[in-house]
Amino acid sequence: MPAAVAIPSGANAAPLPDSRTPRLSAEPVAPLASVDAAPDDSTILKVRELRTYFYTYDGVVKALDGVTFRVHRGQTTGLVGETGCGKSVTAFSITRLIGDPPGRIMSGEVLFQGADLLWGLGDEAKYFPIADSGRVKVKRKFRRIKAANERMSAVRGRSISTIFQEPTQAMNPVFSIADQLSEVLLLHRGMAIIDELMAATPDSPGVGKAGAELIDAARSGVREEIKAAAKKFGAAARAPSLGTQAFYIARATTSRPEELRRELGKSLTRLRLNSTIRRYLHYQRRQLEIQEKLNEVYFSEMTDRAPHTVARLGLRRRAGQLGLTHLYYRIPFFRARLSNPLKRELFWRVVSLLEGVSIANPVQIARGYPHELSGGMLQRVMIAMSLSSEPDLLIADEPTTALDVTIQAQILELMRDLKSRVGTAILLITHDLAVIAEVADDVCVMYAGRIIEQGPVREIFRRPLHPYSQGLLASIPRLDQPSKELASIPGSVPNLINPPTGCRFHPRCPYAMPICKQEIPPMTSEGPGHLVACYLYQGPVVPP
Amino acid sequence: MNAEGTEPPVVLSVRNLRKYFPIRGGFFGTRVGDVRAVDGVSFDIFEGETIGLVGESGCGKTTVGRMLLRLIEPTSGHAYYRPTPEVQDRLDVLYRQLPATTGGDNNGKAKGPAAEQTIQELDQLATKYSLYRKSPRAMRKLRGKLQIVFQDPFSSLSPRMLIKDILSEPLEVHHAGTRAQRAARVTQLLKDVGLNPEHEWRFPHEFSGGQRQRIGIARALALRPEFIVLDEPTSALDVSVQAQVLNILKRLQADQRLAYLFISHHLSVVRAMSHRVVVMYLGVVVETALTDALFTQPLHPYTQALLSAIPIPDPELKRERVVLQGDVPSPAAPPSGCRFHTRCPAVMPVCSQVDPPMLEVRSRHWVACHLYPQGIHDTTSREPASDAADPLADAPMTATAT
Repeated sequence: MPAAVAIPSGANAAPLPDSRTPRLSAEPVAPLASVDAAPDDSTILKVRELRTYFYTYDGVVKALDGVTFRVHRGQTTGLVGETGCGKSVTAFSITRLIGDPPGRIMSGEVLFQGADLLWGLGDEAKYFPIADSGRVKVKRKFRRIKAANERMSAVRGRSISTIFQEPTQAMNPVFSIADQLSEVLLLHRGMAIIDELMAATPDSPGVGKAGAELIDAARSGVREEIKAAAKKFGAAARAPSLGTQAFYIARATTSRPEELRRELGKSLTRLRLNSTIRRYLHYQRRQLEIQEKLNEVYFSEMTDRAPHTVARLGLRRRAGQLGLTHLYYRIPFFRARLSNPLKRELFWRVVSLLEGVSIANPVQIARGYPHELSGGMLQRVMIAMSLSSEPDLLIADEPTTALDVTIQAQILELMRDLKSRVGTAILLITHDLAVIAEVADDVCVMYAGRIIEQGPVREIFRRPLHPYSQGLLASIPRLDQPSKELASIPGSVPNLINPPTGCRFHPRCPYAMPICKQEIPPMTSEGPGHLVACYLYQGPVVPP
Repeated sequence: MNAEGTEPPVVLSVRNLRKYFPIRGGFFGTRVGDVRAVDGVSFDIFEGETIGLVGESGCGKTTVGRMLLRLIEPTSGHAYYRPTPEVQDRLDVLYRQLPATTGGDNNGKAKGPAAEQTIQELDQLATKYSLYRKSPRAMRKLRGKLQIVFQDPFSSLSPRMLIKDILSEPLEVHHAGTRAQRAARVTQLLKDVGLNPEHEWRFPHEFSGGQRQRIGIARALALRPEFIVLDEPTSALDVSVQAQVLNILKRLQADQRLAYLFISHHLSVVRAMSHRVVVMYLGVVVETALTDALFTQPLHPYTQALLSAIPIPDPELKRERVVLQGDVPSPAAPPSGCRFHTRCPAVMPVCSQVDPPMLEVRSRHWVACHLYPQGIHDTTSREPASDAADPLADAPMTATAT
């Protein structure tokens, strides 16, 4: 069977399903006009002229007013700015998670690997200005919004995942950590997991020998040895999760080989699946497969903008089918007995995920609930969750703001490690310039809903060009330098209902000129990759 | 603290401050344990000086700040308000004689008549000088001198009061001046913190976070205090606004000889603000030093780890970093011996058994760590000699201060 995640990826030959049959075709597709302007190979996400407004009783808050930037493959892009400048709104707009009402994405382009994430945006709502009040009446078409949401589930969490600012609020308090992570695993990698579970061979000849070796290793008590032996044991049974499980059983029963032997036997017995369970797993797998294909159709619709209605309807009908056997699966009592092997498999996979984010006692943590964990631990669980689907892009929205410095150091270390090991591109949103300096490759500086400067991190810190970036860098107290009078930017962030005309920074800018009040400065290029929107610089204008 | 050797007068002298919060549970909510939020904290606050109090969340920083204003009553220990230099010296002598466990109250087990006499004398001094022995009436008078600025400027101002009411309320409570004088004082206060006097007719919601925090500072200044607890005053603010607020605080200190207790987990801000720094870990002080000494030559492994954990806004700077493993242990069941030993990179066998004494390892640089078993003059050890002698003698000096 093919691998679980089979979303066509951007420029390298995005396979386009035929409009009637949602099967993967081998031929590459001629790019359409809209895709033509799409990113070259190094760009994974391209945001162009993004506008997001919030319709409130006080008026229209123009939170984003023409945001343009790119995220490169395998690199960390930092988005930095003060409170209320639209950093988080940008993050939420990319995956269309803006609370609606009051928020609406108005226009713009978000291209992720060739797919237009703002699919069907124009049909979602109509706007009627109310005369003389500056307010707008918004009529939303909720069916359209729902359709767009359904499509976004092909992207959210699997190709683009998000780490939210408050880990305590992002987790569900009534489900255990294992349950919440299992759900994500099943949704995004379920088919592969079920395949592996069914392919396990607990009775193959090598298993007994590997088990004996594991018992020997457990007697020695050396962690690494047990780990290696447990891994071998799992490999012999062709079930990696059995390896994880055996390791923790061995750790718990180091000095009691008899008990260990018994427990290992039990684990092996549990892997011997009877035909009823196998049939149930097949059913589960088919459900996931249908969803997967539906997602492929959705993704291709977002890529080439041609509706594949027939294919979609067929798939949805198949997903809705409910035969008599399937009815049996829906009875909780039977379902629980049938789904136990899968649940166990997912649990041990969750444990190894938690190991991956250096949680010391993953078994206890997985059984625990969010309130039992500290902020740093929960944030690591969140990271494990968002990386479990091996996303191409990770949006980290202030991942360390709620944490202590020592924990922040741990999380940053983890993110750096992931970038080099998995090659995930990261969009790091923070107000802390020091964090940016530590982990980012590129920086975008935001002010009042616009990006005012962007470039490589060293360039921005060595040679900030925009007066706002200069002021921001001068106002950070430095740990590595003795205290001196801190520079501060006079005034505060403007109200975005009535933002200043022209350049939005001009009321606070020490170099403001008459033109700044009248016209929005265009992005100009000032050196390789270094863009700035300010009339102080006369470099070549870069079109958005 | 100044170069001529003439120390400015002490505003508050904090000795062995402790606060245990009871954990209620079991049958009829009996006390089943204690959260040792603060467990024996001592330091002095001089006039016109800023003390930075740093540590991770849950280490007891805020509890210390609130106890100094008697917003929380301590379990034991004292804060002596304006002791004369003679009293201060006497206190030092007495506390040195005192077994560290008694906390300066009579509830400790006095050993022998000498110890009993010490405790009695301390009791007398406490009655005279300690904040926690003041009568409610005397305390109310003192409250004008001791003020606080809270962390969150959004919840520390009443949304239903005008700015002028917020600022004149402390004056009214303390019957300060006539109505006209109070109005003039409000105008002056707004000018002092860099706000427009016309703003007095507005409500708090009309201001941004930085402006609100300045109103909070103005309110604290209303009664011309001598000492202000700044409890994370800028952690809710953006960097550009944070710099404005910090500069105002510095200017006010220079003008009015204010003493600050600057509580923060943000070490860069502490470095910019304070003269001396106290580092806390899990309810105890682990290191105290002048700011520059602490930041250039941290001695305690925890301080070193804390400093290296802080990202520096310079992408070209690559540093060796000590990443601490794990989380802060629960203060309900703190580790035995040195409380940091569970996460310490330089841990020794002695650490889990013996609580390290606070020693003056360099001039005005105090540290509580077994890596530094010798003070510059051994008499400064507040621990009785018998307690600290044998296990410390063999302790190797492995790690060196960088």
